[in-house]
Amino acid sequence: MAVSPGASKAKAIVARTAKWAVIGLFFCWTVIPIIIVVTNAFKMPLDIFTKTPTFIFQPTLDNFATAFIKSDFLTYFANSTIVALTCTVFVLGLSVFSAWGLTSLRLRPANWIANAFMVGKLVPVISMLLPLFVLMRMIGLRGSLLAPAIAHVALQLPFMVWMLMGFMRDVPPELEQAAMIDGCTRLQVLFRIVVPVILPGLAAAFILAMQYSWNELLFSLQLTTFETYTLPVGIASFVGAVSVNAGVASAAATVTMTPMVVLGFFIQKYLAVGTIGGAVKG
Amino acid sequence: MIRRKELLLGFCVIAPAAIVIASVMFIPLFYAIYTSMYEIKAGQAPVFVFLGNYGRFFTDPVALRSLANTVGYTVINLAICLLFGVGIAILLDTLRPKVGNILRAVFSMPLFISPIIVALIWRYMYDPQYGFVYWLLGTVGLDQYFGGLTSPAWALVCVAVADAWNVTPFIMLVVSAGLTVIPEDLYEAARLDGAGPIRIVFNVTLPLLTKVLAVVALIRGTDAFRVFDIIYGTTNGGPANSTSSLSLYAYKAAYQQNELGYGMAIAIITLLGLILLFGPLMRNSARGKDDL
Repeated sequence: MAVSPGASKAKAIVARTAKWAVIGLFFCWTVIPIIIVVTNAFKMPLDIFTKTPTFIFQPTLDNFATAFIKSDFLTYFANSTIVALTCTVFVLGLSVFSAWGLTSLRLRPANWIANAFMVGKLVPVISMLLPLFVLMRMIGLRGSLLAPAIAHVALQLPFMVWMLMGFMRDVPPELEQAAMIDGCTRLQVLFRIVVPVILPGLAAAFILAMQYSWNELLFSLQLTTFETYTLPVGIASFVGAVSVNAGVASAAATVTMTPMVVLGFFIQKYLAVGTIGGAVKG
Repeated sequence: MIRRKELLLGFCVIAPAAIVIASVMFIPLFYAIYTSMYEIKAGQAPVFVFLGNYGRFFTDPVALRSLANTVGYTVINLAICLLFGVGIAILLDTLRPKVGNILRAVFSMPLFISPIIVALIWRYMYDPQYGFVYWLLGTVGLDQYFGGLTSPAWALVCVAVADAWNVTPFIMLVVSAGLTVIPEDLYEAARLDGAGPIRIVFNVTLPLLTKVLAVVALIRGTDAFRVFDIIYGTTNGGPANSTSSLSLYAYKAAYQQNELGYGMAIAIITLLGLILLFGPLMRNSARGKDDL
């Protein structure tokens, strides 16, 4: 502790500088890749393929026009929207009900069922792919937008149920009992008491389900046909030929990522609270 | 009477989710286990080989390479994500809340980008002729030592870094939330005892974050172990199988080489690997929740 005031002040300045230098570097690491793909979307091929990064260039909308008017990205965009919204609605509905059933109704096998759900999260998607493909073809859903939506719902459910159970455990039982005494039915308790209390958890579930379904590639690739391609599937078709279509691929990528990045920017804080839920309140 | 009604209600609210999970995850899982015991080749009747496909895995050099890659990838990826994610979360926690919140929102952007787009972006970044990474290394004369996605020695690390760019924000966000519940007086007490900022991080902050770190390591680790999209989009397993992961190899075996039985066996081995590596962590975090 025997440091002179001058030395400790110098030390504080060094620490401050170091801190902001690290934050600055992390800022660059985060935004440079995004800036590169977004600017590429507005560049002509001549400006993309340069030895040193170019920041001054003649912006063009050609790439967007090629992706969305000449090829089918507008359709893919609509498909992705429908799939993601359907998936989100079903995931939220199913997980709220079953998480509530597993926490609030004092069922004896509740823990056992919850653990079985979590094992589902470990199952490698590759092993689900083909059986699901066969199943969907059997019931005539292959190629429809419902097929990837159902797959996304199932893939999300185990984690969502687990997460919402964490929130519901934190709802004081007295609150529910009081509502029952006041004459609420069980289901009224769920919608009037439990759901409002766990709203941050629902916000997290919403954004997780939405962005997962919007971004998922493998199941969408296998379960859709040309008319029902989603955005990631469309983008995957560029991946083989990177140099040819760099501008168009970047334009498609920019439009695909923008809605989720904007949505995420505003509600990211719920994501964290939602994921750890009860685990941090020690 | 009331109890029975409650049971019925419980059944009704849980059943839909249980049916969806069972039909999309567990039935396919049993189908995969069943299929993995057959040798299936195009145009031939399936032959029952019991555990033959599993035996083949352990004599197949590409499969073993994929296993080693997957473990290596998980370790590298987790290490980068945890280092960056925890580090930046702790730094942001020392800023004024308003500034910290804005930076946190900016830093979380990559998390919401589809892995296939992340692959696309980083292919540009790693492009040997026009890529930003080569240009950056070139400015300090290091570009000749860097192999990028085309060198077997570098490719796996490159893909792990690209994936880390994508998911580090998740760790940052979760750790940030974990930090908010650490009481300020603990830091105060440590400072009064003369602990410097670095000692405080290692002796106060990190020990109190153990539970949170276990949860993020579990979530991220299981995802990294099943990595598919980002490798599929960047290197597709090459060069010379140096980035082939278990999921990618299973996919190729089952859907490109039409060896369904073998592909399913690899998928089941992936599942067993996951249980072996992350099972203990999972049981601990579940027990942790019950204690509360």
